[in-house]
This record gives sequence, C-alpha cells and structure tokens, in this order.
Amino acid sequence: MGNFFLYLGMGLFVLVFLCLYRASFGPGVLNRIAGICAIGTKTLVILLLMGFIYNRVEMFIDISMVYALLNFIGTITAAKYLEMKGEA
Amino acid sequence: MTRVTDDIIIRTVARVLIPFIQLYALYVIMHGHHSPGGGFQGGVIFGASFILYLLTHGLEEAKARMSEMKAGLFSSFGLLIYSGIGLLCLIMGSNYLDYGRLSTILRVIPAQARSLGILGVEIGVGIAVMAVMFSIFFDIATGGEPPGGEESFGDRDG
Repeated sequence: MGNFFLYLGMGLFVLVFLCLYRASFGPGVLNRIAGICAIGTKTLVILLLMGFIYNRVEMFIDISMVYALLNFIGTITAAKYLEMKGEA
Repeated sequence: MTRVTDDIIIRTVARVLIPFIQLYALYVIMHGHHSPGGGFQGGVIFGASFILYLLTHGLEEAKARMSEMKAGLFSSFGLLIYSGIGLLCLIMGSNYLDYGRLSTILRVIPAQARSLGILGVEIGVGIAVMAVMFSIFFDIATGGEPPGGEESFGDRDG
C-alpha cells in the first residue's frame, strides 16, 4: 500500500510542473491565479500522502491545514486585488 | 485593496472562519514541542487571521480592532517576554535561554522547567511575529503613511 501512495505522489508531482507552466507563461492574470491555486491544492494532497508513507498522518495534517488556510487567504487577496484594479 | 466592499459571502465566511483560525494558531503555539510548529508558525497563522479580517472588513474596522500603535506595542511586548526569560536565566547563573535553572523559581524539577521555559519563549515569539506580520501588511496597505495623518487612509488605493 505504501508503494501505491508513493506512485500517486509522484504522479501529482509531475502534474505540479504542468500547473507551474500555466502559472508562469499562462496568458492573462486569471490563468496564473488558477494555476497557483491548483499547485496549492496538489501540494496539500502530496503532504498528506507523505504522511501516509511515513505513518505519521497526524503530524502532516497540521502542516496541510496551514497550507490550505494560507492558500485560501492568498486566493482572496488576489481576487480582491483584481477587483480593485478595475476601478482606478 | 483595503476598501470596504459589499461582498456578503466573503464577509460571512471570514467572520465564521477567523475564530477557528485563531484557535488553531494557539494550538500550533502551545503544541509546538510535540508536533511541527512553534512560536513563529503560530504567530504567522495568527497574523494571517488579522490580515483576512483587514481584507474582508476594510481598513477602518481593522484599525478599531488592532491599530498600528497596538501592533507596535504587541511586537515590543513579545520581544520583552522572550528576552526577559533569557535574561532571567542569565541572572539565575546559567547561560542565556538555559531554562534548567528556572526550576528554583517555578518549584518544579529541571525537566519541567525546561518545558515551561520553552513554552514561555514560544508565546513571546508568537505575539511578536503576529504583530510584526500585521504591521508589515498594514504599512503596505496604507502606502506607508504615518498613523494618525490628516489624509484618510481609505482613498489611497486604486
């Protein structure tokens, strides 16, 4: 079962780079924000999978909760910035 | 960035979420020596809750909760706790931040004194980091104006 989680994490690791490409070169700001949010979500899942691999889920849940929280606040900040930028 | 908007969903979600964020920050500070986390990380989460409040409720309401002067006082107070515990160890005759000697004041065995000492230091660091995080965001949001200036802060953005 440990190998299953390992390969799942490796697959997500590859997908992070696809999202990173979209966040770096994506046309427009909205694509970049969407790419960054997807990277945050994937990182959260990778952290939990690492917890399953090391058999210490209760420790990695703390880290992933903080990550989800900061991701949420970052998304709100980016959305608010875009909203306010239109008014001038 | 800090103007008040009437987006009710974001405001309601933030109002429900902020107490839990702060409770979680206190958990991270208190539980720092058993799990990942500690003073800095808990302080960052606590500061993030204030930043979320400022983003969703505007600058004026956030200033009513936590003004720039309060943020400065809190950062100095946290540093005072940290360095005070360190100096107390120095006065008791051991190294700086060597908590073993605090057992004579706290009337516990040295191992418990070490645990309590690191907890006090982490509380101090958490308070300082929380205030500094909020202060940095405050300065960026207001464009670096001094507190209590003549200009209204809300019209600076856009």
